[in-house]
Amino acid sequence: MASLLRQVSKALRAPINRNIAACYQSRLQSTETANVEPPVETRPTVRKFDAVQRTQLKDFGKYVAECLPKYVEKVQLTAGDELEILISPEGILPVLQFLKDHHNCQFANLTDIAGMDIPSRPYRFEIIYNLLSLRFNSRIRVKTYTDELTPVESCNDIFKAANWYEREIWDMYGVFFANHPDLRRILTDYGFEGHPFRKDFPLSGYVEVRYDDEKKRVVIEPLELAQEFRKFELSAPWEQFPNFRRALPVAEEINVDKKE
Amino acid sequence: MITTKILNLLFILFFSCQCHSARTVTCDRKMAHQTIRQNLKQVKPILSLDKEEARKRVLSLYKAWYRQLPYIVKQYDIPKTAEQLKQKLREEFTKHQDIKDVRVIDMLVIKGQMELKETVNIWKQKGHLMSYFKDTWEPKPTDFLSKFLAGKE
Amino acid sequence: MLRTTLGKVLTGGSLSPKRVTAVVRAASSQTGKKPEQIEVFIDDIPVKVDPGTTVLQAAAMIGIEIPRFCYHERLAVAGNCRMCLVEVEKSPKPVAACAMPVMKGWRIKTDSEMTKKAREGIMEFLLINHPLDCPICDQGGECDLQDQSMAFGSDRSRFVDIDHTGKRAVEDKDLGPLIKTVMTRCIHCTRCIRFASEVAGVDDLGTTGRGNDMQIGTYVEKMFLSELSGNVIDLCPVGALTSKPYSFTARPWEIRKIDSIDVLDAVGSNIVVSSRTGEVMRIMPRVNEEINEEWIADKSRFSYDGLKRQRLITPMLRDNTGELKPVDWEAALLTVAKQIRNAGSSIGAVAGGFADAEVLVAVKDLLNYLGSEALCTEHTFPLDGSGTDLRSSYLLNNGIAGAEEADFVLLVGTNPRFEAPLLNSRLRKAYVHNELDVALIGPKVDLRYQYQHLGDSPSILQQLANGQHEVNKKLKAAKKPLIIVGSEVLARPDGSAILAAAQKLSASTSPEEQNWRVLNVLHKVASQVAALDIGYTPGVDRIRELNPKVLLLLGADDGAIEKSDLPNDSFIIYLGHHGDHGASIADAILPGVAYTEKQATYVNTEGRAQQTLVAVSPPGRARDDWKIIRALSELLGAKLPYDNLNEIRDRLEEVAPHLTKYGEAETANYFKQAQELSKGIKTQLDNSPFDVKLKELSDYFMTDSISRASPTMAKCVQAVLKQKQSKF
Repeated sequence: MASLLRQVSKALRAPINRNIAACYQSRLQSTETANVEPPVETRPTVRKFDAVQRTQLKDFGKYVAECLPKYVEKVQLTAGDELEILISPEGILPVLQFLKDHHNCQFANLTDIAGMDIPSRPYRFEIIYNLLSLRFNSRIRVKTYTDELTPVESCNDIFKAANWYEREIWDMYGVFFANHPDLRRILTDYGFEGHPFRKDFPLSGYVEVRYDDEKKRVVIEPLELAQEFRKFELSAPWEQFPNFRRALPVAEEINVDKKE
Repeated sequence: MITTKILNLLFILFFSCQCHSARTVTCDRKMAHQTIRQNLKQVKPILSLDKEEARKRVLSLYKAWYRQLPYIVKQYDIPKTAEQLKQKLREEFTKHQDIKDVRVIDMLVIKGQMELKETVNIWKQKGHLMSYFKDTWEPKPTDFLSKFLAGKE
Repeated sequence: MLRTTLGKVLTGGSLSPKRVTAVVRAASSQTGKKPEQIEVFIDDIPVKVDPGTTVLQAAAMIGIEIPRFCYHERLAVAGNCRMCLVEVEKSPKPVAACAMPVMKGWRIKTDSEMTKKAREGIMEFLLINHPLDCPICDQGGECDLQDQSMAFGSDRSRFVDIDHTGKRAVEDKDLGPLIKTVMTRCIHCTRCIRFASEVAGVDDLGTTGRGNDMQIGTYVEKMFLSELSGNVIDLCPVGALTSKPYSFTARPWEIRKIDSIDVLDAVGSNIVVSSRTGEVMRIMPRVNEEINEEWIADKSRFSYDGLKRQRLITPMLRDNTGELKPVDWEAALLTVAKQIRNAGSSIGAVAGGFADAEVLVAVKDLLNYLGSEALCTEHTFPLDGSGTDLRSSYLLNNGIAGAEEADFVLLVGTNPRFEAPLLNSRLRKAYVHNELDVALIGPKVDLRYQYQHLGDSPSILQQLANGQHEVNKKLKAAKKPLIIVGSEVLARPDGSAILAAAQKLSASTSPEEQNWRVLNVLHKVASQVAALDIGYTPGVDRIRELNPKVLLLLGADDGAIEKSDLPNDSFIIYLGHHGDHGASIADAILPGVAYTEKQATYVNTEGRAQQTLVAVSPPGRARDDWKIIRALSELLGAKLPYDNLNEIRDRLEEVAPHLTKYGEAETANYFKQAQELSKGIKTQLDNSPFDVKLKELSDYFMTDSISRASPTMAKCVQAVLKQKQSKF
């Protein structure tokens, strides 16, 4: 099956977009990875990983990358045993369709979609799809990227659950989902300006809302903090958790043979 | 709220400019020229493919709003006439007259359409509509003496 | 009194690295040789250190912090808490890292099984007798014991005494109105004892009993009589010694910390102002090796409650009945502007001790525009000779840190213990570790170290200046002599003669180093140096001569000028933050802000410009001082050309560039020229003996409008007076 797919994808792959190549490079530079096997954990308070499960995940990740070489940019394990597939934004629909419908995947459940804002990156937003396969008792995470003005394909046709999740991301980050059946705000108030989860959105917001007794209605006015903004100082002069001084790397990349 | 909108737009403009420049840094030097050209050409459109199309969209959005104004006055209990609303509508559109980026225009059109929908369906309330007029906003003191007397920076 | 010899210091190794290097520097400059460095391995990381470095210091060099309670880098090593035990390879027992000098090739393991076991064991021993009252303990959240038991303690308990039969309980001690004691929490690190005897020079604290019965206390019921007593609160690693005024008011994680500068004396100690919900909760020191190390004086630390009392929060005008009535800013400014316009150029200004450089320069610009030059400071300084034209004649030229290296100090008419407690602690440090000899002309006061009292007559200074006194030999022989003249004696009518004598005397010394500056003047208030730098005239004589129709008091509260000194129809404007002496004689009150509420520039007695930062917002309708002047200028039609802080700072830089070089001490020169000019002085020394205002601890606490308004300071005075009655 895999070989068959590979044949097909080879034909598809011919004109690889230069744009993608550039982004791929930038992604490589922006994410830290270490391709080393973590040492055997002896500390009782630290979670241990199932080696068999890790190999299975790695193999599966490689398999996905082999099947969809045009879209998969990188495969990695985070937090020890969580599989992540990093794809280019063009590949959202094919990758999700593949993961949902392929016999060996069957990730039929879209647990949620998350967003992430890293303003220093050329493509500042990451869109993260968390999938669950009930058939194989397995989870996978698909990540892609975009910026404020690049639309992302809506995956509402594949997962009906995506409807509200994508509305939420539109509302919180201002990422536009193309072909969404009903893209509108979901959490913020009508007339709310800005997207609150962007890093450049101030924690206190820009406006405040109050009921005006004279006007007999709610009025929206520029923010004036009457109360002190509370901030807690939690640092101590001593290292609080020396046990975690040598933590696992955030993500370990899985080598995918990309030659041919 | 004007300021927030403008701020957001500024950010958008700023970051969209940054994207192009930042990308080149990460690229191979050889490819740099090509990439710039390609990037400038190949942005994924939101809705419109060129300026003319974007203009049309803006105009049709304006028309749609304009035609709804009499009904809005009727349906909402607001102390404004259709004429005043027309003036405000014009103001809200001309506020963005300097924007040239097709994608930014598209994004604003999308947001404008959403707002129109919210208004027409009466999802919005009186306060939301009236917030366009900012009639309770107190002007901030600008010169030193009035700032001093008001005790505001 | 404790006093180690140089030899003892070098061999004992019982000193902080800084002090060791300071002393070693002094020694090595003589021998000209540097000892060879030795290599040790800490967690297999090689590190090269000087011989005599302790394990703990070597580990700190590569960023490994070994837990400790008793060790403190500015105090002698005690080695009694055992928390810093680490394993050294091939050593059968763990060693105490704070006291053990490293040997060549040692392999130290700070994270090995043995080290961990030792730490957990020690922590268990400490916690056996430590009460579990962290939820009601003021140290909670910034407690070394809490933090370290989290980080290094065992993660499970073997404490089975659920009936609480065995925990040690100790009676609390009464150390006065500043320090709250809960002695049950004490872990016997003895940091407080070492601080009291080594830095403060008060041997009141000590231990009684042994083992489980050991107690820290004052032996007899006695107050901790020191002007530096508050520092033991910071030193205490647990909640045994906490701040009494701060007790149960705030938690460390919910308060906001702003770095600022203290203005209650002329030293300019660096402080951290902690605030919560727009209120100053406490003031703590910030490390600055050049000025206050990590100590601050009690007045700086505890007088913050004076910032909430007696404050001027709204503009006020005196009405027909002679009462001060609150008005709004517009009315106040219009009335004041009208009065100033009527007065024309007959206007004067007197700057008090808390005036910052910004308002000083704004007032100067305004008055100059109005055609007046009557800009005075409340505190006098001699104007004859070079006067205040040469900076060297009014600065503490050799710096505060420089006092540490001196080998002979002559104090003239000053009591540094209360006028500048942190300068005194430097002198004491030099006395203890550096064989410093001190002589004093002036009233016999207790400096907490021994000195040679030469008498209090000006004739002694005359003898010295003429080279006829026995101390002249010592001064000549000294390699690093210092002459510190108090600003208070310089305010006498014969002040210029005193300064001239001091200048003559300092010219007769022969310091070893080129840059060593012998003549130093110690000021008492924070504003004085900046005011003189900007060009204010010291003393209010000029005001008395001018009889101005309008007088502007910039927080002048020391009563240098009275209503009776002025014509009857004169109009007095008070710009300041406290309802004190100045406000009581004023016809118009313009409420300014205190040092915790503004971003302002102050220059300390050594000529170092530093700035305070805004920690809390001003109370009521109080406004930034310079902004009031700026607003007033606009109503007068003489708009000053600065609207914001940056612009007025640019103006400051124009007037005197060093005023905006924050943190740098701008040194002064031209000693010779100053001395030449002083030869023309006609004034003769008179016969009245030298005197200082602050003689005893009870005089120290309430000296200015902030500390006079502070209830804590009042309690301190009461407690000291009561202690005097006591037989101990």
